Amino acid sequence: MLEGQLVRLRAVEPGDRERAQAWLSDPEVTYYLTMRYPLAEKDPIWLADPQPGGFANGVHLAIETKDGQHVGAINLHELNPEDRKAGLGVIIGEKAHWSNGYGGDAITTLLRFAFHEMNLHRVWLSVLDGHDGAVRCYEKCGFVRESHRRQHVFKHGRYWDVLIMGILRDDFDAMHGGGS
Amino acid sequence: MILEGMLLRLRAQEIDDLERGHAWTNDREISYQMGTRYPRSLAEQERRLNEQPPGGYGNGVRLAIDTLDGRHIGSTDFVPADADDRCAGMGIMIGDKGYWSRGYGTDAVLTLLRFGFEQMNLNRIWLHVFEYNERAIACYKKCGFQIEGRLRDHLYQEGRYSDVIEMAILRDEFDAALGGGS
Repeated sequence: MLEGQLVRLRAVEPGDRERAQAWLSDPEVTYYLTMRYPLAEKDPIWLADPQPGGFANGVHLAIETKDGQHVGAINLHELNPEDRKAGLGVIIGEKAHWSNGYGGDAITTLLRFAFHEMNLHRVWLSVLDGHDGAVRCYEKCGFVRESHRRQHVFKHGRYWDVLIMGILRDDFDAMHGGGS
Repeated sequence: MILEGMLLRLRAQEIDDLERGHAWTNDREISYQMGTRYPRSLAEQERRLNEQPPGGYGNGVRLAIDTLDGRHIGSTDFVPADADDRCAGMGIMIGDKGYWSRGYGTDAVLTLLRFGFEQMNLNRIWLHVFEYNERAIACYKKCGFQIEGRLRDHLYQEGRYSDVIEMAILRDEFDAALGGGS
């Protein structure tokens, strides 16, 4: 279990499926996500399909509030041991918990694990240009804009630019202090 | 179908290309620019060629580069394209070093771009290049690619981290530079 200030990250469980399915079926939740086609109950989703965590499969965790409410999920994917890098994805599915610092706390908690336990050097993410709340949250967590992919995704009738943001271990330690 | 450039032709890869391709990808001067890390056997290279699906939108497209007089000098490819986004990544290698810095890479890229935009109907073609590959970056700029960003320390090779440069060209930019469909 990874303890943050506001949240706790735990392994995903099959029991998370129903909530995850509801989140990913809500157009408001998926508006800025790159998932496109309706999800069947049998479709695999990382938010609810338990796999052993590590470099081979990635790290897929459920986000719970401190009083045990399951509000979202977060993961590290495309881990590469030679480059010591990974991609990060996060979703807060419970809309009542949007804009309350849960996403940022989950990210900081997972970054600490990535840099101080998994010994990663770099974590990156992609976000649709226009998802301003998410970009602000990532910037607050220490991510910087590294690339602006023009017209990279088609959604809602038009092409959208995609931002790639990254954070290095040194950036994280400068903000939060290094290992103990 | 053979794609005709000014200096070269792009054609499907054949089994006779294998040994040259194997020698190129195991040449450190070349693999350093490609990011291929582990030595690859000729048998593995042959298995991959035999298991490749035919070139197609979602399969990717792997092509050999021949000079107009039929000499095999390199290869170029699209990774599997995304049908919804109409977007694909590309790569290129001139393996025969006697043909470096003579316009073959530029001609191969332009020929592949024309195919991607005018036959496959792509909207965007992107590529990744390592920050130290200045010759390649200059070539891609000449072909109309724009630098979109720099992924910090995205690659570890030869004992140190390097940045990866992201470049891309849109259909409208290609048409504006080269005059659009016929």
